[in-house]
Amino acid sequence: MRTLSLYQEGDSIIHKIDPITKIIFVLITILIPIIMGTLNSAFAFLIISLTLVIIAGVIKKVLPIVGFTSIILVTVIIIQGLYYFNNRTPFFAIGTVVFYKEGLLYALEIILRIYSIINSVSLLMFTTKPSDLVEALVKKGLSPRIGYVFSSVLQIIPQMMSTVDTIIDAQRSRGMEVEGSFSRRIRAFIPLIGPAVISSLIDTKERAMALEVRAFNSRYKKTFLNEGTTFKYADVMQVSLISILIISIVLRFVH
Amino acid sequence: MSEIEVRNLHFSYTKGQEVLAGITLDLNLRPTAIIGQNGAGKTTFVKLLKGLLKPTEGDIFVKGYNTKEKSVAFLARYMGLVFQNPNDQIFKSKLIDEVMFGPLNIGQDEKTAKRNSLEALDLVGLRNRINENPYDLSLSDRKLVSIASILAMDTDIVVFDEPTIAQDYRGKEKIKDIIRYLKDKGKLVITIIHDMDFVAETFERVIVFNRGKVLLDGDTRFVYSYRDKLRTASLEQPYVMQLAQKLHIGTPLLTVDEFTDWFNKR
Ligand SMILES: Nc1ncnc2c1ncn2[C@@H]1O[C@H](COP(=O)(O)OP(=O)(O)OP(=O)(O)O)[C@@H](O)[C@H]1O
Ligand SMILES: [Mg+2]
Repeated sequence: MRTLSLYQEGDSIIHKIDPITKIIFVLITILIPIIMGTLNSAFAFLIISLTLVIIAGVIKKVLPIVGFTSIILVTVIIIQGLYYFNNRTPFFAIGTVVFYKEGLLYALEIILRIYSIINSVSLLMFTTKPSDLVEALVKKGLSPRIGYVFSSVLQIIPQMMSTVDTIIDAQRSRGMEVEGSFSRRIRAFIPLIGPAVISSLIDTKERAMALEVRAFNSRYKKTFLNEGTTFKYADVMQVSLISILIISIVLRFVH
Repeated sequence: MSEIEVRNLHFSYTKGQEVLAGITLDLNLRPTAIIGQNGAGKTTFVKLLKGLLKPTEGDIFVKGYNTKEKSVAFLARYMGLVFQNPNDQIFKSKLIDEVMFGPLNIGQDEKTAKRNSLEALDLVGLRNRINENPYDLSLSDRKLVSIASILAMDTDIVVFDEPTIAQDYRGKEKIKDIIRYLKDKGKLVITIIHDMDFVAETFERVIVFNRGKVLLDGDTRFVYSYRDKLRTASLEQPYVMQLAQKLHIGTPLLTVDEFTDWFNKR
């Protein structure tokens, strides 16, 4: 069955790391550069996360995201370079427009942070099956209902897309022209909304009943079908990651 | 010229996995059933006829038009397809509007469309409910609505994908009548179906699909007499035929009527 998933099949060491450890890693790549507030820390995390992305073998998937983000980040350089409130030292000028060193450095820091966040989030999304992720969270105490909402959204969207395909086919079969100009396609789309919404409502209702007859709401503590391949070093890694976080906070206050 | 000509048709959804592997046949006015086990490629085949999918190799001509070169909406004037699940096509809030949607799309004027639609609804027995909301009807009635909405288009070719699903005895009889009526009007009826007894009573020609190829093709009686070949395609003969064989009756009897005739003359 199709699911909405970025997961890339693979057998790198990163794929074997458990989802929780990866989530913690995402958190610290976001937090530490903010806590430390230095260019060096941002740079360090970029290098670390980039290395991990390469090890995981998903760099090809990450590059397009980086490329797309870069377009937006150009505006950061321009705005901070020109208007950062600490701007003092002119760095270079294009005609009468002056870029300042402080602003450019600040922009650089932001950019490094964002790239490392992209890397670490990609690491999580590309190397973890969505179902494993949800299950790991539920095991950690997330309510199974919320877990179910997450995983069903991942399934329902592609299912709705294929329902829409069938419905488009059914209407084309009755002579509705769906190829052609934009306005024609918009007009063609209206007849499709009704059946799409109705069949997904029916699906949802049936799914809810199917869950209910299998005691989804039972108050007993649930067990898990998938023991999950427990990652040997999960505890060690999680503890060290959190320690690093604590150390960075301490360092920050000592300075 | 045949209504439909299929020439060396190949099709695959994903490269390297052929769902249809070289089919050549002609479809003429005889009511034709397409049978075959789940996943044999029947639905794929009719979607190709309809132009919803395009051949990866080979050609299909519908009324002389190559499906590769014409849009689905264009081909809709010549061929109607009743989808398996009526919920995929129903979207108007009034029955009559739903049925008139197709006819209006293919260029019938308001009056003709209305007349054809009422006639079609009469045929499926829903004439007195034209102002109701289709979604208030039962699934089997909605299926009849979806059939009526294709019949109203008055196409020369009508294709059904599993018309008898969710129908009780009365519904099945009604669909049988519709198929015969269409035949009498000189239309080509093609039907995908799993109900062998229904096929025996209603269709003149049977095409057996197996793993993307045509395993058997011919008169209904002729095709159903190949018991062992049918078995290899996970199909069974109609019950009357099985019974006749168990009783060692020499003639391959197909339907209950044939059986009673034989019995009375004995
Ligand atoms: N959209 C699709 N994408 C990929 N594969 C598909 C798709 N639709 C069908 N298939 C595959 O093509 C093969 C033939 O499917 P098809 O639906 O034509 O079979 P069928 O004879 O109609 O079966 P059934 O009797 O179950 O309706 C199957 O193996 C099916 O899994
Ligand atoms: Mg099918």
